Amino acid sequence: MGCSQMMNRELTAKIMNTLRARAVARRLWQTAIVGCALIVSLAAHEAFAASSKIYDQQERRWIEFTPERAKAFYKRHNQTPASFSRQVVPFRTAEKPGTIIIDGVRHFLYLVLPDKKAIRYGIGVGREGFGWTGIVQVGRKQEWPRWTPPKEMIERDPKLEKYANGMPGGPENPLGARAIYLFEGSRDTLYRIHGTTEPWSIGLNISSGCIRMNNDDVVDLYQRVQIGAKVIVLFQGASLLKGV
Amino acid sequence: MLKQICRVIVLACGVVLASGIARAADVVIGIPSWSSADATAHVVKEILSSRLGLDVAVKTGTNEEIFAGIDQGTMHVHPEVWLPNHKALHDKYVLGRKTAILSEKGVPAEQGICVTRRTAERFGIRKIEDLSDPEKAKTFDTNQDGLGEMWIGDSDWSSTRIEKIRAKSYGHAKTMQLLEAQETVAMAAIDAAVAVDRPLAFYCYAPHHLFSLHEVVFLQEPPYSPLSWRVVDPADDPQWLDHSQAAVAWPTSFLHIVYSAKLADTHPKAAKLLSAIRLDVDTVSEMTYAIVVDGIPAADFARQWVKDNAERIDAWAAAK
Repeated sequence: MGCSQMMNRELTAKIMNTLRARAVARRLWQTAIVGCALIVSLAAHEAFAASSKIYDQQERRWIEFTPERAKAFYKRHNQTPASFSRQVVPFRTAEKPGTIIIDGVRHFLYLVLPDKKAIRYGIGVGREGFGWTGIVQVGRKQEWPRWTPPKEMIERDPKLEKYANGMPGGPENPLGARAIYLFEGSRDTLYRIHGTTEPWSIGLNISSGCIRMNNDDVVDLYQRVQIGAKVIVLFQGASLLKGV
Repeated sequence: MLKQICRVIVLACGVVLASGIARAADVVIGIPSWSSADATAHVVKEILSSRLGLDVAVKTGTNEEIFAGIDQGTMHVHPEVWLPNHKALHDKYVLGRKTAILSEKGVPAEQGICVTRRTAERFGIRKIEDLSDPEKAKTFDTNQDGLGEMWIGDSDWSSTRIEKIRAKSYGHAKTMQLLEAQETVAMAAIDAAVAVDRPLAFYCYAPHHLFSLHEVVFLQEPPYSPLSWRVVDPADDPQWLDHSQAAVAWPTSFLHIVYSAKLADTHPKAAKLLSAIRLDVDTVSEMTYAIVVDGIPAADFARQWVKDNAERIDAWAAAK
């Protein structure tokens, strides 16, 4: 193991502990339209509800999963509902191991494993879902990515002006611990899979069109996924019609 | 001066190289965007190269591009032409311009709208008219707009246009949003739906590896009747959708190899062999599953398949 890798791990552990101990970047996250608002239509698709549904094992029924419920659940349990926890699940597919399949409807990201299995992660997506459907590739990966708020966002919230040239990576950065950049051929689509400073939001359609994961999960995915891996974004409603 | 000489040399090398590449392929097989065609293309390639010693290349393209390529002499084989889906192209190039030849015997195929077996069992959605029922259609609503969503094929497939006609004719064009996308996306959507037991309806066709991977069933439909099947081609009528009507099942379809009429002169043995190839549903399904699901490289699978089916291919080669 190289020195820089060890340092990275130490840094990661340190920052992750900090993350768990502190409630960070609340206001910033709420005003930020996590990272990629510039390229996602700012006209929110009102028809696409901010809530999703989760299965209540005790009540044996589907319940609305709203931001309020999500916050309350997270406060009570210090974690998202079990269905959004990282887990290995049976997954029959013709896709090769290493492929990522993103189901924005159910808020799951699958990393295909051998033997008809996959690792399933909980995700959060934008108000209008992911906004598009198609096949892209992992073009780049970044630890503790820098975040630059789009110009429109700064116009709405001048306090973000100080980040006009970018906010360094770290526990307060809304992109979280890792970012996986999605490319179409050699072109950056400007969509990312990234971490979050608001882990309670996993399972919800809020903010903008990127894919959010809690930091532990995005670190896990980051370690497993290869540059060039196929990423299939499934359709949600009519998002398909927009294309990449 | 020296630079100019160098340029001339480089240009000349390029021309020689390009003509060498062009000459290298005796036969070019077009590959449209679905999995069984890909499998068949590689098997045909292996047969022609191993049995006849031909240099065979494969090249992806839409159905229109492949037929046009056959017409112009830049391509020579379409591995899987669906009839009636590609009837317009067939009529233009096989019957009209006579630059393409349809192999005699086709593989019977089936197509329509499928649901996962669990969708049929849990929600009682078994007939295609269930999709026209607004309440049942909501079963497939993923964005809470009151309409269900269903994939009807890739945007450049002929069947996608016909599914639009059928959706209009049956009435589910008003209750379901018809989505077009690459087949890979649709197949992954089925994988994900099955994984969480989410209801899903979608265009489907057999032979296809999907039926070995997941439990899916065709929705029941009124049987095909030529009197009820009026499918207008957009090339003939811009109002094709309004003027078409097809509220019945697809007719039994057939998959055929189509090849260039010029092959009879340039490579007569290839033309004879292509006309004699007899595939069947099980073979196409087996080939597709091996390549797509088991992940065996198409060329490797084709090589092995040709070895394992030597007698069968001998019979095709000996056919008169």
